Amino acid sequence: MAGLAPEGSQFDDKQYDKKMQEILTEDFFTSYDDVCESFDSMGLQENLLRGIYAYGFEKPSAIQQRGIVPFCKGLDVIQQAQSGTGKTATFCSGILQQLDYGLVECQALVLAPTRELAQQIEKVMRALGDYLGVKVHACVGGTSVREDQRILASGVHVVVGTPGRVFDMLRRQSLRPDNIKMFVLDEADEMLSRGFKDQIYDIFQLLPSKIQVGVFSATMPPEALEITRKFMNKPVRILVKRDELTLEGIKQFYVNIDKEDWKLDTLCDLYETLAITQSVIFVNTRRKVDWLTDKMRSRDHTVSATHGDMDQNTRDIIMREFRSGSSRVLITTDLLARGIDVQQVSLVINYDLPTQPENYLHRIGRSGRFGRKGVAINFVTRDDERMLFDIQRFYNVTVEELPANVADLL
Amino acid sequence: MRPILMKGHERPLTFLRYNRDGDLLFSCAKDHTPTVWYADNGDRLGTYRGHNGAVWTCDVSRDSARLITGSADQTAKLWDVSTGKELFSFRFDAPARSVEFAIGDALAVVTTDNFMDHVPTVQVKRIAEDIDDQTEESALVITGIKGRINRAVWGPLNRTIITAGEDATVRIWDSETGQLLKESDKESGHQKTISSLSKSLDWSHFITGSLDKSAKLWDTRTLTLIKTYVTERPVNAVDISPTHDTVVLGGGQDAMNVTMTDRRAGKFEAKFYHKILQEEIGGVKGHFGPINALAFNPDGRSFSSGGEDGYVRLHHFDSDYFSIKM
Repeated sequence: MAGLAPEGSQFDDKQYDKKMQEILTEDFFTSYDDVCESFDSMGLQENLLRGIYAYGFEKPSAIQQRGIVPFCKGLDVIQQAQSGTGKTATFCSGILQQLDYGLVECQALVLAPTRELAQQIEKVMRALGDYLGVKVHACVGGTSVREDQRILASGVHVVVGTPGRVFDMLRRQSLRPDNIKMFVLDEADEMLSRGFKDQIYDIFQLLPSKIQVGVFSATMPPEALEITRKFMNKPVRILVKRDELTLEGIKQFYVNIDKEDWKLDTLCDLYETLAITQSVIFVNTRRKVDWLTDKMRSRDHTVSATHGDMDQNTRDIIMREFRSGSSRVLITTDLLARGIDVQQVSLVINYDLPTQPENYLHRIGRSGRFGRKGVAINFVTRDDERMLFDIQRFYNVTVEELPANVADLL
Repeated sequence: MRPILMKGHERPLTFLRYNRDGDLLFSCAKDHTPTVWYADNGDRLGTYRGHNGAVWTCDVSRDSARLITGSADQTAKLWDVSTGKELFSFRFDAPARSVEFAIGDALAVVTTDNFMDHVPTVQVKRIAEDIDDQTEESALVITGIKGRINRAVWGPLNRTIITAGEDATVRIWDSETGQLLKESDKESGHQKTISSLSKSLDWSHFITGSLDKSAKLWDTRTLTLIKTYVTERPVNAVDISPTHDTVVLGGGQDAMNVTMTDRRAGKFEAKFYHKILQEEIGGVKGHFGPINALAFNPDGRSFSSGGEDGYVRLHHFDSDYFSIKM
């Protein structure tokens, strides 16, 4: 059956492994095997260590043990690790270690696919860099252009942004690239995919030719790795095999629902369970977010919703309410599939299965963050059965039928 | 029992403390903002804003007027409990870890972590009744302990200080001279990091929790090991019931490994043991991350747990609990 999958199919595991093997055997990467078991042994400056410990970190996670030091040495890096295991702190520490704090010019640029994620990274960067006096700005769409220009003119060390706004600021020369020596792509495979690739290319063209590049993601398909060769110089790589990407701590279930129309009733049946803790419900289109939200509210269920068409102020309010626990059930698109870290999310529902396989891992990775177990429930119609089977095989994961006592899982 | 889930912290819990009267519960977390709750219904009463780092521990004065907090931002702070006003800040060269008021609230013990070249310390601070007279001066500084000191508490009559931490050793110090009086036995004592320590209501004995998957009960004066409670998970938090012969243990696997292993491997229940018979009585499930903090209400009728999942869970005991016969 596997052999019959169409050429280049994203679910073709043999093709994926073959391509990956071809790339890995080329003489393109730098070997780097050192592991640092404590932050103190990484040679970080004192005020960065203060920031790391003040944040509440006590010992480095696996990706941090391997990933912080090569980045601090100025090496290009490709770093893949499972969802919620500390990639953001890895590149934030690497950037903060290398900044010249006496020079209040942009020296590092971090790009993320969504505004919410860029703002989250900015917050972590600011917290870790507090004792260093770092100036970091989130440069994202939907906010005041004039305000961005004013902040950039007053001087910042790091810009964390979304590609559209960052390119606009570069084009207007509000953001000057002359001193940028570090360039980070978070959720890199998304950033190098069809939707963003041209924007990334345009931005990269405007940056200095001598620049350190870091790419980070929980999923790193061979197509993304191919593209990195065009702008990276012998990177140090930390990669995870596709069948080891899934987190065992996230229990995955399916519910058989014959028809699409019956999903809503199933969701309402689960609602009482959803509201015990915090949950994210993923659907595939913005229109469907609005539709499902209206339906749930008309049945007297309290839900929040967010998607890319909503105005930024509303999106910010909804994220703030969800993070603080004021709202508990959030309906959204893949806008929030990547990177978003909310402490008390323990349940993800795939009302629709994702259209891209990588997004399955990213979606369920909104629960089961560092130090917390999670549960994912997939609504499966007859049309979805094949897709679910492919996901299970590709990522080497077992999705069981949802038991009756779902509340006990949370 | 149906728990009350208290939402308000956006990052993992680190510590829980009831006031003397048992009507207030104070929680600390990595989100910089200690919070106070009504201990009966879990309503949030207020927050204490001013720290710039994770807050590891707190303590409240006997009259519930003052709160002291120890933080990874290298300060310990005094607060007015009712107004939330920051009264004073003690500054250190390393993260502050453990804090506790002495009887009479005229002294407080604070520990600092090892940080770069700084060795861990135990420091005694004088607490002025009039905040205008407050200084940062230390009445005593104890050094010479290797490894982080996770917990330091006062012994009976404030004559001693008890410490426990990373080197798996419990020590008793003279609180005036700083002289080491007793040290736990290497063989019968804990084998790994001691994560937590809690005293009985009359301070005659105390319990320690360790990553060696056990908790131990000690005599406060002689440091004699009285009891050992064996479990199958690292212990992050312990407490002794003020009214019944029970102790509670909580923990779970290392936070770093939680998402990498099957959910059954987490073992995030709070486990109750008979204090004297050392037998497990029962457990309370609910957290989806390791339990980092546990506390009994001084009235013995309820307890709270705080987890890596950011929740504080308040549990009022069923009547069954009060009629347990062993």
